[in-house]
Amino acid sequence: MTAGLAAPAVPARLAAEGVTVRFGGIVACDNVSLSVPPAAVVGLIGPNGAGKSTLFSVLSGLRRPTRGRVRIDGDDVTRSAPQARVRRGLGRTFQHPEMFDELSVRDHLVVADRLRLGTRRVWADIATGRGFHPRGPGEDDRVDALLESLGLSSIANASVRALPLGLMRLVELGRALAAEPSVLLLDEPSSGLDTAESAEVVAVLRHVVAARGISILLVEHDVELVMALCEYIYVLDFGVLIASGAPGQIRADPAVRAAYLGTESERLDEAARSGATELSEERA
Amino acid sequence: MLAYILAGLALGSIYAIAAASITITYVSTGILNFAFGSFAFFLARTYYWLNSQHGWPIVPAALMTLLVIAPALGAFLYAVLLRHLRQVPKLIQIVATIGLFVAMPPLALVLYGSETINTAPGLSPQPEHVYHVLGTVVSLDEVIAYSFLAGIVVLGTVLLRFTDIGLRVRGLVSTRALASLSGINPFVISIGVWVIASVLAGLTGVLAAPSVGLTPDGMTGLMAAAFAAVIAARLRSMPVTVVVALLMGVVTDVIQEYLPQTSSLTAAIVQSIPFVVTALAFSYFYVRYGAVRDVAGGGSLDSAIEVQGGARPGLTPRTRPVLVSRSMLSFGTVGSLVVLALIAVLPLVVGGYWLTLVAGGFVYGVIFLSFTLALGEGGFLWLCLISFAGLGAVVAAQFATVAGWPPLLAVAVAAVIVTPVGILLGLLTTRFGELYVALATLTFGLLVETLVFTMNRFLQDGIGVPMPRPGWAIGDRPFAYLALGVFAIIAVFLLNLRRSTTGLALSAVRRSEAASTSVLGLGVVGLRVLVCALAAFVAGLGGGLLAMYSGTALPTEYSTYAGLAWLAVLVTIGVRSVIAPIVAGLCFSVVPGLFQTYLPAGWGNLPTILFGLGAIGLVLNPDGSVTLVARWFETLASRLRPGRPPDIDDTELIIAETAGTGGGATVLASSPQRANS
Repeated sequence: MTAGLAAPAVPARLAAEGVTVRFGGIVACDNVSLSVPPAAVVGLIGPNGAGKSTLFSVLSGLRRPTRGRVRIDGDDVTRSAPQARVRRGLGRTFQHPEMFDELSVRDHLVVADRLRLGTRRVWADIATGRGFHPRGPGEDDRVDALLESLGLSSIANASVRALPLGLMRLVELGRALAAEPSVLLLDEPSSGLDTAESAEVVAVLRHVVAARGISILLVEHDVELVMALCEYIYVLDFGVLIASGAPGQIRADPAVRAAYLGTESERLDEAARSGATELSEERA
Repeated sequence: MLAYILAGLALGSIYAIAAASITITYVSTGILNFAFGSFAFFLARTYYWLNSQHGWPIVPAALMTLLVIAPALGAFLYAVLLRHLRQVPKLIQIVATIGLFVAMPPLALVLYGSETINTAPGLSPQPEHVYHVLGTVVSLDEVIAYSFLAGIVVLGTVLLRFTDIGLRVRGLVSTRALASLSGINPFVISIGVWVIASVLAGLTGVLAAPSVGLTPDGMTGLMAAAFAAVIAARLRSMPVTVVVALLMGVVTDVIQEYLPQTSSLTAAIVQSIPFVVTALAFSYFYVRYGAVRDVAGGGSLDSAIEVQGGARPGLTPRTRPVLVSRSMLSFGTVGSLVVLALIAVLPLVVGGYWLTLVAGGFVYGVIFLSFTLALGEGGFLWLCLISFAGLGAVVAAQFATVAGWPPLLAVAVAAVIVTPVGILLGLLTTRFGELYVALATLTFGLLVETLVFTMNRFLQDGIGVPMPRPGWAIGDRPFAYLALGVFAIIAVFLLNLRRSTTGLALSAVRRSEAASTSVLGLGVVGLRVLVCALAAFVAGLGGGLLAMYSGTALPTEYSTYAGLAWLAVLVTIGVRSVIAPIVAGLCFSVVPGLFQTYLPAGWGNLPTILFGLGAIGLVLNPDGSVTLVARWFETLASRLRPGRPPDIDDTELIIAETAGTGGGATVLASSPQRANS
């Protein structure tokens, strides 16, 4: 945590402690600390190039930090591989959807659901001829319910190759949720979605937080959505954490407003005027 | 010592010219020319045809070859094929240039005749003039090699540094997109680059032919040496490429002073030098960068508009939504079963010569399944699977003939023995980019060919080790069914793998390593190594069967060049379809028989040319012929079906209400770009 910034008081499900990432002479993240409490939605905002996606890569294990630590439920996972972090309950989506192009929408969720129950099947299925067995009803029920909640049922058997960006984001979200993570990193989930689809995503996220107690760390350019959804927000600028606090505090913070000069600053004002609660009601 | 150094510098100069040709095309146009060896062979053969067969003097023959035919060849191939490769994924790019590699040598044989050439002339008149320098002898051919390299380096430097053309080329190399926006015509520059590269390839071939031999295999060896220098320079730095190539030449000759002249070990060590250089370069990159990936060229705009390397042969990025059927009796499954049934009755309805060819086709089908596993399931291009087949063959023959084991047991055990080699190679190349996997496995194949397949224990003075068939499968008909049975077992195994969690996981890893690890929690290395092991096992098994089919395990039948032809055949038919390997096997075995039987003798090389062209055609049809035909039938069936849904291809946009979206509309577009915009 940067000096002078208050942290959430609850124990963290996911925490970054003094994370620094350097690319040669460029510092993408500079001594960044943040924490995500259980069953909370925490926002991470900042202008383009602020280091948000780099921090996500560090948190999910795709990139090693130059300095600092990452903890899941208090345990140091800085040196753990991404797959080890998944087994500890970490899930994520990507800024540019990372789809498995040869699989159908349903298969994206099926593979995540099966691997949640153990990676042993990856090896066992070869010997047991499971490829020719019908799928289990439990698996189908879980996947169908998730498809239904995301509004993807009608395209469940379609290939993801030709889906528009908005639907890809929903499939990616479904895949992440099928893995039943305890903490979920969402990288710009509303980018490319229209208003109705964004509202759908907000509703789904609220539901999973309430029903499953999932913690969410949300990177998002849509400031209104962040203000509506998040209980606590961190602001990055040029790799440095410049502010953190409740949405109201962030809106009023002069450093944040300076970083968001121009259109984003106006959007902050707009978000402040309309109020987060009102926005969320409109969307719901 | 000086004599060795001077001779080594001449060899190094030839390597350097070859490596310069490969580097310049990769850096300028983004295409690594796997067909370089064939360019060199084709043009050297042209020079031989003019000079030796038609009596042209050296200078006119060389000028005609290097300043007329070579530029025309480079310009023609760029205009009709190579320019299209820039916009296709890397794997398809590699396979298409391999298609060219396969097609060009037989084309040269068709054009110029297929007689055996024992000695090829260089550019010096015979008898060759020699010079005495510092008490040692330097031949005119060596002087010519030094002179050409020095001339190319000086001319290249002047051209790139001090001329307007050089400025345009450097602009194109830095960022193709911005260069285009600045008024530089990439097509003109690229065609110029390919013209120069073709001239350099021809020059390399003519200079090298007297020492490496005027054969496709000799030129493939030369290409391997050039690739070693190119790899050491990470495919980009021309000065490093030239220096490494010169050093390789010097080391190759100097080391011979300290080794016994007549020992087979000496030959093995000398021929291994390019592979040692490659291995050292890979090790260095591994330690220095943690992975051996392709270095992206160009600027940020180039990266933004670059074709994503997702699509692979057999995996067309379709422009329309596709409903994926998981029914056991899908159209594709029924079609496959019908084709398999027809294939299964073939041994009953043909006899004699044709039955022998059909049996061979089934055996090739087993081997080709290893390509389907590696490329179709694993998504990586191994250019050395023929080496695993060869290893399976020679080991099985040792067990069966020398140790007296039952033939089938010998083949099975040999395949098991080969498998750890595949696992090791898989582990070593796990962190390699697609291009480097192809290069590393090509190098491995040539190394096995050089070090293992030349051992007299396996070669037996060129006749190989006998490999008997099982007593009940002596005849071609039972043997055909033995091969078909093995094919069917592996095909069912492959189908199970594809439909199971393993297949889903492999699909995931193939398309997005980041999402596979950080969302699904998959271990990428384990899955890749699994596929490597399976591919090596199947290749070893197929190799043993092929030896059984031939009656002899002859290592020379498993040259890396032949493996590339095998690859070309399979990708032409289809690399993802389970029946494609057996169809490809039958084509590979039966089509040349048809040509030999029903067409004039000179047409014997035509099938190989067609296979090469088929691989080139992958650019247009990445799914292969089987899938294309299946799609035609599928479309036809859907058109004939009453009340068929509207054709999505004809529809700009289809708005489909999706249930549960709270009134939201889902747009399924005929083009992903349109949909995303």
